[in-house]
Amino acid sequence: MRPELEALKQKLNEENYIADDALVATLYIAMRLNRPLLIEGAAGVGKTEVAKAASRAFGRELVRLQCYEGLDESKALYEWNYQKQLLAIQMGGQGESPAMKDLFGEEYLLPRPLLRSIRSEEPVVLLIDEIDKADAEFEAFLLELLSEMQVTIPEYGTVRARSLPFIVLTSNHTRPLSEALRRRCAYLYLEYPDVSKEIAILKAKVPGLDEDLAAQVARAVAYLRGSDRVTKKPSVAESLDWAAALMALGVDELDDESCGETLGFALKNNDDIREIMADDEFIRSLL
Amino acid sequence: MTNSFEASSSAHDCGGCDCGSAHDGACAHGCGCGHHGHERPADAAPMERLVRFVDYLRVQGFNVGIREEEDALRALMLVGLEDREVVRTALRALLAGTRREQATFDRCFDLFFVSREQFEANMAAAAQAEAELEARRREMEERLSVNGKPIEFREDLKDVYARMPQSERDRLKEIVDKFSGKMEHAPKLYEGFIRSVFMRSLLEQQMILEDAAEGAAQADADADLMYRDISSFRDADIPRAHQLIDQVTRRINGEIVARRKSAGRAAALDFRKTIRAGLSTGGALCRLHYKKRHSRRKRIVMLCDVSGSMMQFSEFAIRFVKSLSEVSDHSEIFLFSEQVQRVNPFALENMDLFQNYVRSSGVWGRGTNAGRALEAVLAASPAVLTPGTVLLVLSDAKSVDLDRAEGALVRAAKQAGTVLWMNPIPEAKWQYLNGVTRLRRHCDMLPCGTLDELARACARLVG
Repeated sequence: MRPELEALKQKLNEENYIADDALVATLYIAMRLNRPLLIEGAAGVGKTEVAKAASRAFGRELVRLQCYEGLDESKALYEWNYQKQLLAIQMGGQGESPAMKDLFGEEYLLPRPLLRSIRSEEPVVLLIDEIDKADAEFEAFLLELLSEMQVTIPEYGTVRARSLPFIVLTSNHTRPLSEALRRRCAYLYLEYPDVSKEIAILKAKVPGLDEDLAAQVARAVAYLRGSDRVTKKPSVAESLDWAAALMALGVDELDDESCGETLGFALKNNDDIREIMADDEFIRSLL
Repeated sequence: MTNSFEASSSAHDCGGCDCGSAHDGACAHGCGCGHHGHERPADAAPMERLVRFVDYLRVQGFNVGIREEEDALRALMLVGLEDREVVRTALRALLAGTRREQATFDRCFDLFFVSREQFEANMAAAAQAEAELEARRREMEERLSVNGKPIEFREDLKDVYARMPQSERDRLKEIVDKFSGKMEHAPKLYEGFIRSVFMRSLLEQQMILEDAAEGAAQADADADLMYRDISSFRDADIPRAHQLIDQVTRRINGEIVARRKSAGRAAALDFRKTIRAGLSTGGALCRLHYKKRHSRRKRIVMLCDVSGSMMQFSEFAIRFVKSLSEVSDHSEIFLFSEQVQRVNPFALENMDLFQNYVRSSGVWGRGTNAGRALEAVLAASPAVLTPGTVLLVLSDAKSVDLDRAEGALVRAAKQAGTVLWMNPIPEAKWQYLNGVTRLRRHCDMLPCGTLDELARACARLVG
């Protein structure tokens, strides 16, 4: 592996993010080419965490935009400070009326996360989380920012980026994203971590966790993720919670009983828990 | 691979470039400045290879533009060419935009980029294999002969012979030798016999190939389930199929919401609301309000065939339609075989109990009488079929008393807004089925043999 990639991997490790080679190489290339990075994967595989870890590793501020249905440019990009504009007009009525162009100046502009990220003097990491939850028109609106690193405000003009933010988009694939958006991004698909990586994550994130217990939890979680009986697969955060819960109870070894007491930290559905506790193979896999 | 893409790591002249400031493109030198000017021109040979690879990807259906190609080249200059896996990751991240594309990309990459030794070894192996096949074709002419005269076979059958395992070829030779003495009496008969033995071997070879295709399908279990005939699902496939249905319906619902939202923007301005809201800002109309569009959800009446093998299909189809909350907020379900039964809407809240429900209903497992079922729907009081309803018939259209079924379907088509017929039998076989030919004249019949077709048919409900 090239030294630059090694260094990046090391930096991410220092931030307690256990990254595999493919992730490191993709992140490095996206960063160096100033390409937005689109990350897809099942819920809970650590997509958002990539952006957080990158911001810490590069020493950049993280600006986060959480997408939802109905999100529009007034909440994501900018809004005019209407109250201030009205006050200015009313004040103007007593004296000199403000010119229209002054009313749409920078003074009256309320920057939202996207505008804030490109107007920042220092480059930031911009996380556009769950882009698939936003409407298709918002996705189209993002294209200018993603490809040109600039945004256009009709009354004000085009705002170019003062510094280039590193943009990370995440998606759970609840609706397909447009071809245009995909084309502008580097793409990374995250799988659930394998057992050895999960052990490393558990050890990094849950200090003081016994190595054998970490291995048992990792194996059990891998089994749950691969089982057809489980409808909601446990995320990495849930496996961390589970390990922390076991540690809090002073459990040294995962067995039938301790599993029954704490499985609610990994599985969040009563049917799933019942099904799994009745699954002899799961109990055997713990031993 | 040589290392000819690698960018210089020596100190560079960074004049005119303000690190961290805004400009397009990337710097190849690690200063993070995003400046074009520093890149050392790439050697022509690897660049040409990359261009060819991108062309190859385009032929494979990838949508790669000039900009992506340019970025791919820059990426290679950044990471160098020493590590095959890093090169693969770099190109994959930039050229393949979905998970499915990434899988195809990996295959293309492995086929395209091979070392010189591997390439030469592949070529030599291919040449040797071709020579062997040619030798076997000749051998066939020599070995399979009647009275010294070779039996005539088509060229494609000769290829099949050449690809047969040695044991099979020996077996054919044995048969010819065994009967060669008797051939003089009835040459035509024995030639026909040998030909039939040959055809059987050919079919066996084909079956081996189909098994291989099935193995390939198993490698991508989800794709396999989406495109496999529902009737061939094993019990073990059912939970995964239910999850797939959930995923697909979630996506269809998402698309419908997005489409409605964008259509909603074009709705008429609500003056009253806009002016009232303007009062809070001293009469200035800061925010425009639009009239909301009326819900366009449909009322769906489902008539489900649960005779014998149709139950599994009906269960999947009902799951699909019930999960499409954005398409319909109310659905009425009738089950039928020879008898008809209207389903209590609460009884199917939990679809996991569907099969138990059907078995205990007394309707399951008999013949099919679509005419009686349609008449029962038409006669329901209060009327369930109105111009605003979509009648969805889930059946293979193999019904008794087709005259009655046809008559009832015509009346149902007049009474309901739309009649859609979801048929699990593949479309290619419809022409041989009398019931299908007669009934499809009066409604839209959609092939729904696989989950993918079912999903597409359900998406039609939106239109």
